[in-house]
Amino acid sequence: MRYSSQRVAYPYFAVAMLLFGLQVAFGLLAAAKYLGPDPLLPVLPFDVVKVIHTNLLLVWVLTGFMGAAYYVVPEESRAELHSVRLAYVQLGLWTAMGVTAVVGYVFRWTAGNKLLEQPFPLKIVIVVVMLMFLYNLGMTIRAGGRLTTTEGVLVAGLACTALLYLPSLLEFDNYTLAIFYRWWTVHLWVEGVWEMIQGGILAYLLIRLSGVDREVLEKWLYVIVGLTFISGILGTAHHYYWIGVPRYWLPLGGLFSALEPLSFLAMAMYAYYAMRRSGLAHPNRMAMHWTIGSAIFSALGAGILGLAHTWPAVNKWTHGTLITSMHGHMAFFGAYVMIVLGMITYALPGLTGRSEDSRETAAGFWSFWLQMAGMFGMTMAFATAGIAQTYLERILGIGYLETQLKLQVHFLMLVATGAVFTLGVALFLWDFFFLAGRPVMAVPAPADATPAGAAVR
Amino acid sequence: MTKRGTRAFFVVSTLLSGLLFLGLTIDSHRKIPALTNAAAIDASVIAGKDVWHRNNCINCHTLLGEGAYYAPDLTQITTQRGAGYLREFLKDPSRFYSEERDRRLMPTLKLSDGDITALIAFLGWVSKIDTQGWPPRPILVRGSSVPGANVGGPPATAASSDPGELGRVLFNSSPPACGACHSIAPNVNIVGPSLSGIAATAASRVRGADYHGKAKDGPGYIRESILDPNAHVLAGPTFAAQGRSLMPGDYAQTLKPEQVDQIVAYLLTLK
Repeated sequence: MRYSSQRVAYPYFAVAMLLFGLQVAFGLLAAAKYLGPDPLLPVLPFDVVKVIHTNLLLVWVLTGFMGAAYYVVPEESRAELHSVRLAYVQLGLWTAMGVTAVVGYVFRWTAGNKLLEQPFPLKIVIVVVMLMFLYNLGMTIRAGGRLTTTEGVLVAGLACTALLYLPSLLEFDNYTLAIFYRWWTVHLWVEGVWEMIQGGILAYLLIRLSGVDREVLEKWLYVIVGLTFISGILGTAHHYYWIGVPRYWLPLGGLFSALEPLSFLAMAMYAYYAMRRSGLAHPNRMAMHWTIGSAIFSALGAGILGLAHTWPAVNKWTHGTLITSMHGHMAFFGAYVMIVLGMITYALPGLTGRSEDSRETAAGFWSFWLQMAGMFGMTMAFATAGIAQTYLERILGIGYLETQLKLQVHFLMLVATGAVFTLGVALFLWDFFFLAGRPVMAVPAPADATPAGAAVR
Repeated sequence: MTKRGTRAFFVVSTLLSGLLFLGLTIDSHRKIPALTNAAAIDASVIAGKDVWHRNNCINCHTLLGEGAYYAPDLTQITTQRGAGYLREFLKDPSRFYSEERDRRLMPTLKLSDGDITALIAFLGWVSKIDTQGWPPRPILVRGSSVPGANVGGPPATAASSDPGELGRVLFNSSPPACGACHSIAPNVNIVGPSLSGIAATAASRVRGADYHGKAKDGPGYIRESILDPNAHVLAGPTFAAQGRSLMPGDYAQTLKPEQVDQIVAYLLTLK
């Protein structure tokens, strides 16, 4: 860590981790509801728990991205952050928005549009926060007068994230049109511009962790992002198959989303290549685990498991079953959760003013492997449940409710593996808040130019 | 490849993909009104869409296969349940489903009558969207389109002495195992033709020019088809061969007359 203003990343990471914990708690509760009966039905029915589970995910991952960007951009552009104060105000507003949304959902204040349930006033707050954020980053880059490819890809991904949120502000009378443009936000985020963010953070971490030549890594970063967009933009079609649009989206979706694994495979190869070259010499081995893990897990979850049900002739039968949950959980975890956890783990020694090799705890490693095992188990539980559901409900034509009763054993497995995952997350939070040491906070004054080394407690 | 080369690859491929996507979006935007029957979107359908959103329905159910996976898909619900049923159900779901039996239950939403009417109008509009043939087979809330697979369903004892109810139990019992060959789901032809909507189909078939049997009306046609499957033979790869029906021809001997009456009464309920 070279710039004291990079420390604003810490409170971002702290908020992200608190919301992560809450998200997982709600996830476990949702899984338990699959077993039923549900004693919480009158106060906290499934739909409320689910909307909180997914919205917390979006909010905390974005919080993590923001923290990551505030950590990476000053270092890449070689300048202190334009305004630490603005970054704090932004975080306050953002957190208030997130908390209001969650409390609002409990009291049934919702826009009811899947993943974009945020009521209109909160959507405006999100846009304002994104603008503050991009302004702060932009001014920092301007002051530094230096824009590397790595941060360029990261910041462009964040800017496109803000831009693509705008369609969610529109209302349509025609439900099909509403879905059509909803995917511009949701799909083009997670299978488009968020992959830019993931690629940017991955490149940054690989440069730092492996010491491989920046020019080489950045060259291939362009290829990865190019592959992402070739497959991702037209791959939106795989959400359009059955919603009331022209037929040509079917072959298009099949073809281009079948290419989507390429960019994830490229990222996995990229990480593997960089690590082989460097011989895994970096002392922050925990960060290395999360970084390589992210590249591999996203190739499996987003790449291979997405491919498993993206072809129209398959999707016709699996569309709207638990197969989607199988893909969704592992993809999101591998691509976005793990890369944020990797960034946090990498940045934490600097943020708490410790040396990098002291940052290794048994709890940290247990957290990694328990989350791996838990998420793998959950994915398998969703997969077996989804395959059985597709076969019984969609192919044999057995009623939805009878089919769900037949899936109970898979839901038991889901709850069990979900508990393992939750334990892993709890250990990560414990490590973050209690073992990693107190943070050295950035102060909102330009005169604050304490070198990182001097900040050791 | 140099960094310049890979950057050019990124810029060009992104631009081309983006342009193609935008072009297709414009074309789709022009065609979606016809595919979705947009002319039928009236104030009631829009109000129903708002009810759908306000009540967060999408976070349990799926619609057009999109949503959560905790409750049944509702794309075709208005073709499977009448408006009267849906109205009663929405007023109090616990009258129809129970946590003990089904392990999950929809909360009572306290919807007004106007909200319910609008919601049914909205779901009715959704059911007519051209979904490119999805779902390929009906997605049922309960029950089964395949005989012997209705696990957890009602036991094979009649709930009343109503002839139709007795006929339903008989239809699903073995013998005579009618359900082993005939489904009652639309377009699901197991061996013999689907009997979905047979009451109406029989009434129109008996008036057809190609009908040469002795029946005078729908019920008569159904009775004749059971007792003499060759009176009117339907073409189909597994229905008939060399102009002869493949259905067993001995039900006149194996079924008692009142059992035939009961099966006819049951089939007449399939409208």
